[in-house]
Amino acid sequence: MSGKAAGCALAVVACALLPFAIPQYSLSVLIEALIFGLLAMSLDLLVGYCRLYSFGHAAAYGLGAYAAALILTHLQLPLPIGIALAVLATTLVAIPIAWICTRSTGVSFAMLTLAFAQLGYAMLFRFRDITGGSDGITGIPRPPGPWGITWFQGKIGYYYLVLGCLIVSYLVCRAIVRSAFGAVLSAIRENEPKAVALGYDTRLYKITTVVLSYAFGALAGALYAAFAGFASPELFFWLVSGRALIMVVVGGAGTLIGPILGGVFFIFLEHELSQVTDLWPLVFGSIFMAFVMFAPEGIWGLLSSRFKPVPGIPSAGPSDETSDAAA
Amino acid sequence: MPLLECRGLARRFGALVAVDAFSMSLEAGRIRALIGPNGAGKSTIFNLITSMLKPSAGKIIFAGEDITALPAHAVARKGIARTFQLCHVFPALTVRENVSIAAQAREHRAWQLRGGGEAIARSAVATDEALEHLRLTRLAHVRAAMLSHGDQRLLEVAMAIAQKPRLLMLDEPTQGLSIEETDRAVEILRHMLNAGNLSVLLVEHDMEVVFKLAQDITVLHRGRVIAEGPPDVVKANAAARSAYLGESE
Amino acid sequence: MTFGFILAQCLSALSQAAILFFIACGLTLIFGIMRIVNFAHGAIFMLGAYVGLTVLAVTGSFLLSLLLAPVAVGGIGMAFEWIFLRHLYGRREGGAYLLLTFGLAIVLSELIRVIWGPQPLASGIPDYLRGIVVILGQPFPLYRLFLIASGIAAAVAIWQFLERTRAGLLIRAVAQNAEMVHALGTDVALVRTGVFGLGCAMAALGGVLAAPLVTAFLGMGTNVVIDAFVIVIIGGMGSFAGSLIGSILVGFVQVLGAYYFQDLALAFMYFLMLIVLVIRPGGLLGKED
Repeated sequence: MSGKAAGCALAVVACALLPFAIPQYSLSVLIEALIFGLLAMSLDLLVGYCRLYSFGHAAAYGLGAYAAALILTHLQLPLPIGIALAVLATTLVAIPIAWICTRSTGVSFAMLTLAFAQLGYAMLFRFRDITGGSDGITGIPRPPGPWGITWFQGKIGYYYLVLGCLIVSYLVCRAIVRSAFGAVLSAIRENEPKAVALGYDTRLYKITTVVLSYAFGALAGALYAAFAGFASPELFFWLVSGRALIMVVVGGAGTLIGPILGGVFFIFLEHELSQVTDLWPLVFGSIFMAFVMFAPEGIWGLLSSRFKPVPGIPSAGPSDETSDAAA
Repeated sequence: MPLLECRGLARRFGALVAVDAFSMSLEAGRIRALIGPNGAGKSTIFNLITSMLKPSAGKIIFAGEDITALPAHAVARKGIARTFQLCHVFPALTVRENVSIAAQAREHRAWQLRGGGEAIARSAVATDEALEHLRLTRLAHVRAAMLSHGDQRLLEVAMAIAQKPRLLMLDEPTQGLSIEETDRAVEILRHMLNAGNLSVLLVEHDMEVVFKLAQDITVLHRGRVIAEGPPDVVKANAAARSAYLGESE
Repeated sequence: MTFGFILAQCLSALSQAAILFFIACGLTLIFGIMRIVNFAHGAIFMLGAYVGLTVLAVTGSFLLSLLLAPVAVGGIGMAFEWIFLRHLYGRREGGAYLLLTFGLAIVLSELIRVIWGPQPLASGIPDYLRGIVVILGQPFPLYRLFLIASGIAAAVAIWQFLERTRAGLLIRAVAQNAEMVHALGTDVALVRTGVFGLGCAMAALGGVLAAPLVTAFLGMGTNVVIDAFVIVIIGGMGSFAGSLIGSILVGFVQVLGAYYFQDLALAFMYFLMLIVLVIRPGGLLGKED
């Protein structure tokens, strides 16, 4: 056990030292990669732990980004507070969305989530004055404070901010899935009618998970907006949802770590390969399909099944069980 | 006052009448069996009582309260636990985790992300007891999917009693079991039922099991009650015999 | 608000419905046979549009593009089903299908972007279909009448195919009870492949027909698959008649929405879908899973 803890500590230290070891350009890519890893992890809560396939997670990302953009640009609040408010605002909006989407499961759920993302996309153009239409919102500042702190205004400082948010988010999510709440999610995933028969209001659990998923996704979006300095409609585009979904499945649904690592590597590969060839999205799409068919537990799932599976976090992801589920 | 009362329950699926004018009372602490040939409506009645189906007519009164309109999870929370005809467990979770989730259900409130210490302790005790009663303790760390069919059925029962229900509803607990497994299950169930004073509603096809376990019997045929009473009375009832006992076995 | 005007609006709605029908019909047929919702259907529609435009550019014949594009895309659909989808039969849980067809949608979108570039492709209506027809004092585009005619022709053709031909009977039988048909000696797998191809071909045909009106652009698939899904939900998953009725309904809703709520026209469809799915999470009529 302590070997594992030592390994984690080493990894954290390595991450902390990275900015000094790599060139500036790579640091930008790394920041983007961490943000995307966070987005992928937030989606894993839904896909991996509830088996709810969301095709519209870009909505969480986009809402968080635009909320942060508007708050930081117009209200000039300190950056951490601005981001926190953006997350809060998105979480509130997510509640009715979650309520509506969880009325269905399966394809209908996926379509509903996609519809909300598309709706968001359309609304951006409708309310051009606020959102800047197709140009988006530019020149997003990173206001200092509270107490005059400014270390996040530089790139290295921002890297630590993002890294910190990612680590904290991961720890929170991990605590959630290992808790009694998480056990109920496993039950819902494995056999929802049974969970209902036991007395669990499964709808409420699903709504809560959707909202949590949106909250962390919004954090990723807000961090991105303040990092890039602008927010544009592409953030809502369905391919963003697609990439996140790919990373969850390929990384390893239901493991939290898998999607994070998958997301990070995806962004790096994307940056490297996009300079070499135009075909890399095709490659990723094909790899995704291969994983869905042959290795639904993902890379991390495959790796961790070689070692003893962690008790309390059963393997998740699209299953190929042929057991009956009647009632 | 009876623990469970069904008054004039009916359920139609289009033109098909699955259950018609079903009335039954179950006293607390009694074990009642619901028997009848295939298609008699037994599982439908189970689904009606636990609110997985809405009745076309009639009422369900549990401990004096009308639960007819409650959603399924609320009915479970009132203290009714059931098993299913086609075995329903959580396949990827271990035996202990399965039972634990059932035990937690009583204590759990949806918005608790981390349970209070006492609640956890209580559900841990309930889990251990249930595993003990069903002789599953040695299998606690095995994934449910790996269990034999007989053990899976027992697991389902363990989950049901871990909920510390007021009414336990068992839907064909010995279905698909071999003779040895059936004997073992009956022995375990009998022991368990004698130990506590559970109220039980049991659907069963195997008449030997029924006569070993049940104190009262309701006979169903084509969705209606055709006979009722203690085992010897029902055995002697001609209508029951011709409709059911005469046909099979 | 003259009668002529109302008529023009109705015809507009019907022309919209025609395009929607091509897509929705394919989607519902595929669902009927395979019990899956082909999320890639919108991307297939888009592929049809692009391939059609290329055929048109190369041969100069709109007619040829109407013939070749559906065949080509239908073939691609069959290949996809044959190579990928059929591995998933027997998996009880629907997640894998959803993800796989989603993956196909992504791959197709990227393929289109690589081959044809990110800019929208304009083509315009072929000369012999251009022009305005005056109906009851109202000008109405000839092309839209052509669309309505195509839609009707396709609906009748499919209807007759399903009702009158042996293949159609086979398809309806498989939709009802695949095991029985299999037990009677027919290769059900082949039927599935064929229907998937047919569904894709129809969507592609819709794409070819739609392209002159809306131009071909990346992203035309996403909205359309949602529309098709709504139609299939309204009409009932797996019901051919339902897809026809649903298309007409949604066509009218879209045209009315565009007229009265211009800006929010897009939002209108989503509201409709939300309403339908909120009222009946499983669908309104017809066969359900």
